[in-house]
Amino acid sequence: MKKFLLPLLFLFIFILESLFVQYVPDDLFGQNKIIVPHFLFAALLFLTIFVGQKQGIIYAAIFGLLFDIVYIEIIGIYLFLFPFIAYLASKILNILQNNFLVAILITIVGIALLEVGVYEMDHLIHVTDIDFMSFLQLRFYPTFIFNALFVIIAGYPLKRLFEKHMEAMRAE
Amino acid sequence: MPQFFMNKRLILLLVSIIVLVALIGFSLRERSKLSWPEQFIKDTTGWVQSLVSKPTNYVAGFFENLQDLTNTYGENKELKSRIENLASLEAQVQELKKDNKELRDVLGEKKTLRDYEPLPATVIGRNPDRWHEMIIIDKGNLNGVKKNMAVVTANGLIGKIKSVTQFSSTVQLLSSTDPKNRISAIVQGKTNVYGLVEGYDSEKKLLQVKAIPTGTEVKKGQTVITSGLGDVFPKGLLIGKVVEVKQDQYGLNQTALVKPGADFYDIRTVIVTKRTMSQSVTSDTTSGKETGS
Repeated sequence: MKKFLLPLLFLFIFILESLFVQYVPDDLFGQNKIIVPHFLFAALLFLTIFVGQKQGIIYAAIFGLLFDIVYIEIIGIYLFLFPFIAYLASKILNILQNNFLVAILITIVGIALLEVGVYEMDHLIHVTDIDFMSFLQLRFYPTFIFNALFVIIAGYPLKRLFEKHMEAMRAE
Repeated sequence: MPQFFMNKRLILLLVSIIVLVALIGFSLRERSKLSWPEQFIKDTTGWVQSLVSKPTNYVAGFFENLQDLTNTYGENKELKSRIENLASLEAQVQELKKDNKELRDVLGEKKTLRDYEPLPATVIGRNPDRWHEMIIIDKGNLNGVKKNMAVVTANGLIGKIKSVTQFSSTVQLLSSTDPKNRISAIVQGKTNVYGLVEGYDSEKKLLQVKAIPTGTEVKKGQTVITSGLGDVFPKGLLIGKVVEVKQDQYGLNQTALVKPGADFYDIRTVIVTKRTMSQSVTSDTTSGKETGS
């Protein structure tokens, strides 16, 4: 039973993101701002930090692929970026000491990196043609602030959940 | 040099970049159908999504109803003032419809590009990364949805079907900036002006109708509808109203900025339009087009 807890949790967050953009009003944080929820990726980074690099990267790859197929229909963007940034995060964690504050900072930076990475890739394949400055104004700052808030609020429950999960797995 | 190749991580990175490029190339090319693993995954997640989103839809609808209740008084007042005109308008419409039918019978032309079969569908998901503006609906191949069909809400056109699986399909909204996302449109005026809906200004939230010839006159406030030419779109679906007209870079064409009639956010239910006139009959659309407008 415990084995299925993590995949189910991630599947739920995966669908939650889609519900979020569907139901939360578009101009919640002011006109002409686009907020992109990165709940799934925040949870993936926490998984990488608190449970383990290997597990984190595997989950990142699986859910990246799922994200690409279901939502984007261009396979490769998230499939590459999710595991890549998760890997970077775990490498940085080796240098810094592992505490809660550092974990939150790494997650926020990782989300920022993801947003810029997706912009660059989409720019490359001409999905979008807005320039970098208007990308910052329109999407990056609001997204960054919103997700930072989310990570700070949801960080502690997620950490507790993953640590409990670790203990349960060890006990088995 | 051998040391360079021994570096496992570097090789892994290079290989994954090659795979990435290959995969993106594979999915970017014009595809008439998704591959079966993709269809399978989309159907499975679509099922889970509809499990979650239907109750959510219900709850959200309930709260929306509560909100509506508070506006009832003002709305009622406004509607009452409008209903006075409605009766006379209805009589007029009846007459025109009859007229139109008679004239059509005389011409011997039964079907038009305007006729379509509506297929209501519920939105079960939306792309969270808002680059590719897409929504997922709960009607698929089994319900007769085909690629490129027009999707509308009560307020106007919102997009077209991008891909279909057995039980769900993906709608690409007009607000996505994909250059392949083009729709033939008419700007209604004294004479009809043809153009292409192409691109979306996400800062101003306006659609761009391009390729309007320079000599033609397009004014602010004119209505833009679909033309029904080309693909499987029916004619006469509302797109929006012209807000601004400007010359393009070389002065050969005009670009009209159009305020879309439909809201691209907060979409709960949509209607997929199945045009009754099939593609094969479109050879005589020229006459149908003139009588239709």
